[in-house]
Amino acid sequence: MIGRWLSLLAAQAIIRIVAGAVTLAAALAVTVAAAPVSLVAAAALAIAWLRGWEPRRLFTAAAWCAPMVAVWLVGTARTAPTWQHVAAAPYRAWTGFWHLAATGAVPHAAATIAPVAVPLGLVAGGLAWSYRIRSLAAGAGGLSPAAAVAFDQRQWQRQARAARARIAAPGSVPLTMRNDLIGAGAVIRSVRHRGGLVAAIGYQRLRSHQVVIGTTGTGKTTLLLRLWAGFMATGLRRHAAGLGAPPLLVVLDCKGGSDARRLADRVRRVLRQAGARSTAIWPDEASLSLWSLPPRQLTSTLVDLIEHGTGSAAYYADVMEALVGLAVEAPCGPPVSAADLLARLEPGWLSMAYAAAGTAADHAMIRSASRQLADVALRFRTLFRRLGSGLDGPGGFGDADAWYCILEGTDQIAVAEGQARALVDLLASFAVRGPARREILLAVDEFSAVSRRLPIWQLYERARSLGLAVQVSAQSWQGLGTSPDERLRIAASAEGGIWLLRTPEPEPVTALAGTIRVVQTSRYLRRFPIWSHRGSSRVEEVPVADPNLIRILDVGQTAYIYRGGVTYLQVKRLVAAPAAVGGVPASPAEPPAGLRAAAAPAEVSPRVDAAPPAGVSPRVDAASPAGVSPRVDAGAGRSGADPTAVPLPDISLLLDAAFGPEHSP
Amino acid sequence: MIRADGASALAAPGGRHPGRTGRHADGLIFTGEMYGVQLDQLTTVLDVSHRSVGAIVAKWRTAGLAEAARLGPGPRWVWLTRAGLADCGLQYSPGVPGLARLAHLRAVTGIRLALAGTPQYAAAGAYWRSERRLRAKIGGRLGLREHVPDGEVHWPDSAPVPWAGECWAIEAELTPKTVARTVMIMQELLARTGDYGCPAAQARVLGRPPRHARVIYLCSRAALPTVARARAALGSAGARIEIRGLPDGAELPSAGTTPP
Repeated sequence: MIGRWLSLLAAQAIIRIVAGAVTLAAALAVTVAAAPVSLVAAAALAIAWLRGWEPRRLFTAAAWCAPMVAVWLVGTARTAPTWQHVAAAPYRAWTGFWHLAATGAVPHAAATIAPVAVPLGLVAGGLAWSYRIRSLAAGAGGLSPAAAVAFDQRQWQRQARAARARIAAPGSVPLTMRNDLIGAGAVIRSVRHRGGLVAAIGYQRLRSHQVVIGTTGTGKTTLLLRLWAGFMATGLRRHAAGLGAPPLLVVLDCKGGSDARRLADRVRRVLRQAGARSTAIWPDEASLSLWSLPPRQLTSTLVDLIEHGTGSAAYYADVMEALVGLAVEAPCGPPVSAADLLARLEPGWLSMAYAAAGTAADHAMIRSASRQLADVALRFRTLFRRLGSGLDGPGGFGDADAWYCILEGTDQIAVAEGQARALVDLLASFAVRGPARREILLAVDEFSAVSRRLPIWQLYERARSLGLAVQVSAQSWQGLGTSPDERLRIAASAEGGIWLLRTPEPEPVTALAGTIRVVQTSRYLRRFPIWSHRGSSRVEEVPVADPNLIRILDVGQTAYIYRGGVTYLQVKRLVAAPAAVGGVPASPAEPPAGLRAAAAPAEVSPRVDAAPPAGVSPRVDAASPAGVSPRVDAGAGRSGADPTAVPLPDISLLLDAAFGPEHSP
Repeated sequence: MIRADGASALAAPGGRHPGRTGRHADGLIFTGEMYGVQLDQLTTVLDVSHRSVGAIVAKWRTAGLAEAARLGPGPRWVWLTRAGLADCGLQYSPGVPGLARLAHLRAVTGIRLALAGTPQYAAAGAYWRSERRLRAKIGGRLGLREHVPDGEVHWPDSAPVPWAGECWAIEAELTPKTVARTVMIMQELLARTGDYGCPAAQARVLGRPPRHARVIYLCSRAALPTVARARAALGSAGARIEIRGLPDGAELPSAGTTPP
């Protein structure tokens, strides 16, 4: 009995070995017989493995061989007497290949079989590569369960290397593409997104809210520059084609300092190449006028710019709002400058302004609150000194294609918060009441510096209807807001997608991409290090965006999370035109120009300061030549007096000789 | 007479093009720097007769270096072609002088010639930096409302004049702007510290000496009152602004003028 059992076992083993050998021999025979197809398949498999390609790419390549096959078949049909000859063409090509190869005419033989062998080989290679990937992804392939992990890591490295090589090729990733697509970089890997060589997003995604998260040195600026340039180039092209309003890019750089100014210069050069005619750098080169806001909104903005306490301090906030409202909404019109407003926060001015047209309630309020006026004026004087002259006009967002606003959020957080608040209010007002409709993208870089007092999510919720998209970037998840609820609200509203660069805590963001079902297989350990190929499989939910992959992203690599899918890509750096050689380099010890401009706002408009309450009609003043304008005066105040203390030598003789004597007008 | 800036950049002025003298090369560069020049002004530049200047321009046209045409009232205009600009080593975009700018271009050329005609200019070896050169240096980085003067005059430090080392901004004012706008331009020119094309942060740095020691306004009769009021509005800073009338012949000739 035992002998029979043992014989049966031996017979089974022998049968298995023989069957295996026969199968192997048959496979070898088929491989050799179909040598051309086998060679192409092996080559395709090797290339796909080395470059980290998806199997789909091999199938696509096979499909692109269809024209070649069609031409070959047509050529065969023209010489073939019957259709049976055409049907047998692949077989004839195969036999012809061997006959030619046997005679030593290898190139001729290869050309004969190529129309058949290349597509078939690519398909075979694709199938084999797909089998390999799927078996490893399911945990069933490889010698051990760890093989899948090692395979994935190696594939990532190969895919990243291939993407880097792709972006290095000139012209491989165009900034703008057909169908209003904006090329961002080369695809490394994608999950639940359509794969491809070039990662491109639609213009409309940039017209929706987006979030960018990445620590310093991960390539965030490179990514942002590319997105901004793409937005500008595509927006201008659409506008030229009559498909949309002209674009307007407003960047709030909340970091400030010399880095911001260098970046501003780079942004200007990049945007110039993208088609932007003018990029205004605020407050260094251009200014905006807070006073162009409608009176009611101006009151609200001015009051919001000043921090108020809670509890009993709310009373003073109400008093301040009432007084500012009286000054701003005076019958003679709103103030035209900071100095004008300060001049109005004075009992005599208010009484005179409301003497003719004011109601009894206005007069009562002026009387009752007159004691607080000095305090309110003091607070606003301090506020304007901090904000600088950049918001005192002239200028508006409509004056340029792009605005790069530098906020000193690193060393003057309170100032940056106030400036950001005022700029956002101005932009919202421009979007609603601007003279011409614009497609606006507001990009807030280093949002954490101003997040405390800039409720961006409020803007998020009403921005779409204003034609305004908001792009918020921060160094970490925590930088998106002060509370978890606020962060989640900002990230969840990012309809245009989330760009995630390397960051130590990506989980809250990757969770937004959702999960994907995958097959996980457990294998029995026979004896270390041999695992059986038997086991059990189950379906599990894993994150679509792998947090561990985010943690190891290299410089310039980013994950784009959108609609439950993720695309990992290598961002293509935009190379701007070289900067012109500057004159004398600024000394690092000196503060930047923007700060200096902010240091002397008290000089704003001495003429208005000195004006008696009788000049209560700033509108008349503004129109009259004498007032030529508070704006002119404000500029004169900023420019200061003669910077050269030494008297200049007389050049009248030269000028008289060249142009004649000076005429009196 | 004219010190042609960048003359050294002209490769073999008399070698590759036999018959072209150094003076003619200077004329080519002058024409390129000023966008375009009318023949009567080119006569002054080259210091030749009216008849000779026509022959010289014909030679330039034959060589493909320049083009000439009657663009407006008065004599023909001459401007450099792409080949002419390249030959002079000037990296500007070629183009026909714009019709709307003809009067302004002529005025600036007239100012440059008048200034160059003074003995002090020649003795000092002063250097005219044209608006075209300034704009080329800025490239595409012209900031919002950044005003570029119509020219700069640089006086070498070693020049035998009291104002040696100074840089002047030249403004030709033909039509009156608003006083406010003129004041802003004056302030910008007076406050600027950096070269044109420098990074934004260096354009105006308090504490640094201003780039332009003076601003010279050459005005038409119509623009004179506005410029004078704007200077008055500047207060003490207005002391660095000189106002004169346009030199003779700087205004565009009337339509009835007989061209040479």
